[in-house]
Amino acid sequence: MELGAYLAVSAVLFVLGMAMAAARRSLIYVLMGLELILNAANINLVAFARFKPEIGLDGQIGAIFVIILAAAEAAIGLAIVLNVYSRFGTIRPDDIDELRQ
Amino acid sequence: MFFDYANVFVFALGGAVLVFGGMWLGSLIRPKREGEAGLEPYECGEKPIGSAWFRFDIRYYTVALVYLLFAVEIAFLFPWARVLKEALADDAIGGLALVEGVVFILVLAVGLAYVWRKGDLDWVRGISHTPDDPEEG
Amino acid sequence: MSRTDLTALSPLLVVALAAVAVLLLISVRRNHRATATLTLAGLVLGLVSISWAATVTPHQVAPLLIADGYALFYSALVLAAAVVVCLLSFDYLEQRGEQREEFYVLLLLATLGGLVLVGASHFVTLFLGLEILSVAIYVMVAYARSSPLAAETGIKYLVLAGASSAFLVFGMALVYAQTGTLEFRPLVAQLSAIEGSGLALPGMALMLVGVGFKLAVVPFHMWTPEVYQGAPAPVTAFVATVSKGAMFALLLRFFAALGPGEARPLLVVLGLVAMASILAGNLLALLEQNIKRLLAFSSIAHLGYVLVAFLASSAFGDEAVTFYLVAYFVSTLAAFGVVTVLSDNEREAERIEDYRGLFWRRPLLATLMTGALLSLAGIPLTTGFVGKFAVVAAGVEASLWLPVSVLALGSAIGLYYYLRLVVVMLSSLDAGAATESAADSGRTPADPGQTPAWPRAARVGGGAALALGLLALLLLGLGLYPGPLMDVIESSVSPLR
Repeated sequence: MELGAYLAVSAVLFVLGMAMAAARRSLIYVLMGLELILNAANINLVAFARFKPEIGLDGQIGAIFVIILAAAEAAIGLAIVLNVYSRFGTIRPDDIDELRQ
Repeated sequence: MFFDYANVFVFALGGAVLVFGGMWLGSLIRPKREGEAGLEPYECGEKPIGSAWFRFDIRYYTVALVYLLFAVEIAFLFPWARVLKEALADDAIGGLALVEGVVFILVLAVGLAYVWRKGDLDWVRGISHTPDDPEEG
Repeated sequence: MSRTDLTALSPLLVVALAAVAVLLLISVRRNHRATATLTLAGLVLGLVSISWAATVTPHQVAPLLIADGYALFYSALVLAAAVVVCLLSFDYLEQRGEQREEFYVLLLLATLGGLVLVGASHFVTLFLGLEILSVAIYVMVAYARSSPLAAETGIKYLVLAGASSAFLVFGMALVYAQTGTLEFRPLVAQLSAIEGSGLALPGMALMLVGVGFKLAVVPFHMWTPEVYQGAPAPVTAFVATVSKGAMFALLLRFFAALGPGEARPLLVVLGLVAMASILAGNLLALLEQNIKRLLAFSSIAHLGYVLVAFLASSAFGDEAVTFYLVAYFVSTLAAFGVVTVLSDNEREAERIEDYRGLFWRRPLLATLMTGALLSLAGIPLTTGFVGKFAVVAAGVEASLWLPVSVLALGSAIGLYYYLRLVVVMLSSLDAGAATESAADSGRTPADPGQTPAWPRAARVGGGAALALGLLALLLLGLGLYPGPLMDVIESSVSPLR
């Protein structure tokens, strides 16, 4: 497989993630969108590390860090979403607006 | 050339024997109760009725989150385990490689101890752990 | 990992160890005072260990972290700010009946993230530090679960911060594609070696989105007023200082390593960002009636001022950036410190009306608040003035006439709303109460001569008093004798260029 194929997948994931986050249908979708962007970056990192062997393992190790930090972010995110739900009874971002303005 | 594929064939055959043989052996031993709860996709916990979009028991959530974090943290141990032997042989690094891995696991253990002590692992919880009603605040 | 490595990393290790120790303490026995004491001890020990780490500088630990004078200076700044926030938080949390102890774990972790960030010399540590800092702050922002705004503020901050770090990582991946390394120095060398920037420029642009969000500069500033308003006051102080300061330290390190040719297109963008931040921050602050939001807008403007010195990209500019950040830390912490001690468990002291006549009720707090505001406004004799002077000097030296004139204009606008607040604090209790509190539906107009119902006369606890006293000393001391600090900064930024 060509490097270009990986880059294409990654680019598609990035755009999908952005679209999901920007559509603001539900907070869960937004969090999932962010995860997609991070995973798009991961595909890039791993693919570059694989196809340019002269540049070492930096990208692959970097991807592990990204995966773990993404999991931490998702865990915290879901916990806060749960708090939001118990307060507002909804997780539609547009309905969550008690702060002034 | 074709002989090389014999490995694959034997491997596949062995796998099939293990799986189907196990199922067959199991069918000899286990009690047969058809049309009962035993046929449901989840033999314990939630009843699979209605659409999948129903509310799960909130208690799943803490356990799931804790599981998620610990499972993912373990990913750090794979590269560590891969190079551990070489690192131990290396004069410059030596035993420190092992110590670092142990410290990492110990830190995770402290996290687990905290979750345990806080009561988030208990399926049946005391009243004191019920989350406060947000409307009261 | 040698002995020298461990010595160089000792501030990081101490803070990380403290976080684990506090978590263990909580699991064994819940005690607010003990937890806070252990946290404070960890942070102070971290500060002390900086002098130990300084014996081996400059030292590169693997390719990931660097312990040079610059990293250690900013580590000290981050730790000192964390000490202040810890002292302020104790009394603040003591009033509130929720689970308090976990807050200190988060504070230590966020501080650890800041320390990683200021010492980062590799994209992986950059991201690691940023995320440790951010994830801890997500929870801190939403910590006051009984507060109606906590969850909403938390989720807003989380979504935007999450998006910005996702952009940052994607940008990192693109830069990596072009240069084949994630390490700052080889990466910078690669950037100047390759013809045409290819993927590197869009990558850098995406990374700047992430950085710009953390710094809350225009056009990534929208989260600031809401988060400042909704978060507990000590957390706001932390977000306003440590989170921004650590990110700026990193930005400065990266750009200082970047040659002028590669930095040029990005500096042009940052110049626009700086000017837009100064104008937008100051103009939006003009109409604000909520003091936390007002400080949020003013912080947007202040980051714009720092960027002006940053644009100079000279050794003197680096010094100015660093001094200004110190001044900004001191003034902002002092201002939010006063907000913190005036808040009670009912609500935060965030309305400007709450401060009416503060001079006659709480003279010391009002004086400190005035000092902080004057310092933010850049009035002589305060540390803020010296900082602004250095920034302007750096800008003029680099002939950045347009940004410097925008800075002057912004400061003039800023003077108005800072002084308005001072005037409110000086005015007598009854003056204006009839007109203004009538409009404020939440409160009944205060009778002349009577103490208003709010804020209640709470006693300032020992820890908070110590922190505020220290800040007052610095506010004036660094304004009158900036020399010694300037010397320290000069030697600590020297490894950069």
